[in-house]
Amino acid sequence: MEIHAYEKLWLALALVLIVGFIGTITYGAAGAGIDMIDDKGGTVDPATLDQHPKFGDPGIERNGENSYDVYVVARQFVFEPGTTEPLRVPAGSTVTFHVTAADVIHGFEVVGTNANTMAIPGQVAEFTVEFGEPGEYGMLCNEYCGSGHHVMEGKIVVMEQEAFDSWYEQQQAQGEAEN
Amino acid sequence: MATESGGSEFVDTFPDEAAIIKASFLIAFVSLGIGAFFGLIQALHRTNVLRVIDSADYYTLLTGHGVLLAIVFTIFFLCGVFHWAVARSLDRPAESALFSWAWVGLMTTGTVLATVAILGGLVPNLGMSADVLFTFYAPLQAHPIFYIGLAMFIVGTWLAGADWFLSYRAWRQDHPDERIPLQTFMVLTTMIMWYISTLGVAVSVVFFLIPWSLGLIESVNPLLTRTLFWYFGHPIVYFWLMPAYLLWYTVLPKLAGGRLFSDPLARVVFLLFLLLSTPVGIHHQYLDPGIAEGFKFIAMTNTMFLLLPSLLTAFTVVASVEHGARQRGGEGYLRWLGALPWRDPAFTGMALAGAMFAAGGFSGMINAGMNINYLIHNTLWVPGHFHLTVGTAVALTMMAGSYWLVPQVTGTKLYSRPIGLLQVIMWFVGMVFMSNAMHRAGLAGIPRRTAEPQYQNFEFLTPIGSIFELRVQIALGGTLLFLSVVLFLFNILLTSLGEESDRPVDSYLPEPLSGPEGSPRILDNLAMWTGIAAVLVVLAYTLPLAGIIQNGGGLFGGGLPVPATVSAGFDLVLTTVTSAFNTLWGVVA
Amino acid sequence: MAVDSTAEGAASSAARVSTDGGVPANADSQGDSGQADPPVDSIVGTADDGIVRELGHDDFDPVGTLVLVLIYMAILIGMWVFMYFVEFLGRGLTVVG
Ligand code: HEM
Ligand SMILES: [Cu+2]
Ligand SMILES: [Cu+2]
Repeated sequence: MEIHAYEKLWLALALVLIVGFIGTITYGAAGAGIDMIDDKGGTVDPATLDQHPKFGDPGIERNGENSYDVYVVARQFVFEPGTTEPLRVPAGSTVTFHVTAADVIHGFEVVGTNANTMAIPGQVAEFTVEFGEPGEYGMLCNEYCGSGHHVMEGKIVVMEQEAFDSWYEQQQAQGEAEN
Repeated sequence: MATESGGSEFVDTFPDEAAIIKASFLIAFVSLGIGAFFGLIQALHRTNVLRVIDSADYYTLLTGHGVLLAIVFTIFFLCGVFHWAVARSLDRPAESALFSWAWVGLMTTGTVLATVAILGGLVPNLGMSADVLFTFYAPLQAHPIFYIGLAMFIVGTWLAGADWFLSYRAWRQDHPDERIPLQTFMVLTTMIMWYISTLGVAVSVVFFLIPWSLGLIESVNPLLTRTLFWYFGHPIVYFWLMPAYLLWYTVLPKLAGGRLFSDPLARVVFLLFLLLSTPVGIHHQYLDPGIAEGFKFIAMTNTMFLLLPSLLTAFTVVASVEHGARQRGGEGYLRWLGALPWRDPAFTGMALAGAMFAAGGFSGMINAGMNINYLIHNTLWVPGHFHLTVGTAVALTMMAGSYWLVPQVTGTKLYSRPIGLLQVIMWFVGMVFMSNAMHRAGLAGIPRRTAEPQYQNFEFLTPIGSIFELRVQIALGGTLLFLSVVLFLFNILLTSLGEESDRPVDSYLPEPLSGPEGSPRILDNLAMWTGIAAVLVVLAYTLPLAGIIQNGGGLFGGGLPVPATVSAGFDLVLTTVTSAFNTLWGVVA
Repeated sequence: MAVDSTAEGAASSAARVSTDGGVPANADSQGDSGQADPPVDSIVGTADDGIVRELGHDDFDPVGTLVLVLIYMAILIGMWVFMYFVEFLGRGLTVVG
């Protein structure tokens, strides 16, 4: 089977291109340290989410110096927290999100950033991001989830550490009082 | 010309086949018209330019748009082209016209059922709807007849494939030693890929979604049905593309005045698609929880290698076109482009479709790039991408191809060549506007599949231009595209009503420059390639599926547990292989 | 198979007779070129009426194609680098764990 010399050249270049793509992506994973959403978040039973120790009352939890866990439930057509009240995090913190869905499949996108995941009933998407300066981010649902899909949105407020701490303590105190 | 006059047109030689093809095209074009109309409404609605529907109904139309265009239009057209290609290249009629009508009928019935279920969503109080989009991710639920219609449609395509395999078998008996004619080779490899891949969606629909929508089972495992969908959802991309490739390889060179550069390479390309189309579906699930990163990495590498057949196609097809230009007197490194028959809408449409595919190829490379997928996942970038690929490379090639194919099955001359030319150029221009704006809007974070342009909590920002300008481009582009479809349907309708002509079209196809003789016979060993394709699929999917069933609450989600024996088996396989795999992945990353 | 032809279409019709899967050439129909046909412009797929020379396998080097695909490759690489390293890695909030 004869192949024209130019086409052989093109074939070789195409292979180099492909290997180059795979190389870039591997660099992103190994060199730049970008992690994929995967199965490390484990699973939950969507039917009993209300009784779940974390997703029953989702929100932020300190788990170390400057390091937090945030539990988010996506349901038609709100994020809890995020929609009725903003999701608050302190500036300069490392935050691990745990996102799941209560009813149908949703998306969780922090607008204009690379923080983006699917929220699937029964599965927990776990991923860690680092927040910088104080400010605000929008968040939205980017997977069609029903007739009100376009109103499913929210806000992340990145607060100064002190402001955050006093808000956090107040939250904790309220939580205690309720129990 | 001389040899083509009187009695040798396709419609005269194969009247039964021509009737089947006409029926397939008719349904394809009706779907195209309705789908394009919905597309217009969407483009105007989500940019807030003109609103004639409620935002809640947007998703009903979007479901209709996706199903009617990406499934019904493309696949019915494919059936027409494949039926033509098999009869033509084997030079024999189908084994049974009745059987052919059976698959046309089954697919049509399925289409009607699914469409009724979808459009039912526009009628309040009917209690029937299927606002689940063409991906129908559970636990969003559609009316049972949506899933039943879908299942009938798919079974119809299986029968269509059987029809072509039967023709081939009969031909083989008369021609024991010949190479499979190229067009038939393309049809058969594509159909083998389709059989392998539709298995996933068939299992999902028949075992899970239909019983669940009928209330026979309580719940489904959403990640499982989603994964089964994408097991089929990537290969369907190539199912759309293969009829376009068939036309690019076997018809476009002729339209350019040249000959196919290499028959063996065309075969290699179709085989690569057969092998690599299915074990990549997980690249649509890069951001799904519940699937290990290693599996995503495998899907990514497979996907990147799947670029190869398309890059090879770019060379072979452009070289064939260049051959035409040179035969027509073209000179120079690039000046030869001017010697091409740009006044022929069939040629120009396909050439523009190919050019757009090159651009769509680029945005597809970004989509495929695993971690860079975070940047664009589920944003408007994605529809921007696939309106270049299925929405133009495929749809425009099909429309352009129609200008050459329809006259062969109607026996009438194209009503208007200039209108045809205007139509394909309008599509190109409209798509430049709509698609580039969608890509850029996606980078600004604007999601796909949303009825509203604006949110309360934040504003979208784009570094260059403005969000307003992007909206205007999408609305303008969508309008041009819709008008282009109107022109197309008008031209085809008047063509079919025209007078019979002795020479409706120049249907002669020249031999390739480099024929199949020199290529290894093993290329034609379809059984062997099928086997390899199946093995690759098993390798790529067994572990992810086992993991999803095992960890994600069983076959049926929260409802029912996995039977203990099955569970233990999964456990064993999973723990051994995943631990081995994780070690390996640890070394790589 | 380099056939030099002066009459438009003559070469291609000659080629047709030899390769067109058994359809007999009808000697008294239409003549040997496009002249007796309807105006060429109105028929789709008649590009080979404009053929001025017949180029066989060995007379044809797709140099124009090579130029085009190399340009394409350069664009691909440039855009990839831009998208990956500027658009993607340049963004705030990236998943790191
Ligand atoms: C008149 C021409 C067309 C126009 C104006 C148009 C416009 C649109 C718009 C505005 C969207 C919605 C984006 C969103 O909200 O996410 C869309 C989605 C889509 N279009 Fe088109 N389109 C056209 C032709 C086509 C063609 C020819 C195809 C395929 C053959 C196609 C396939 C799709 C698909 C698959 C979707 C995604 C549906 C979904 O997200 O579920 N479109 N189109
Ligand atoms: Cu949503
Ligand atoms: Cu894909």
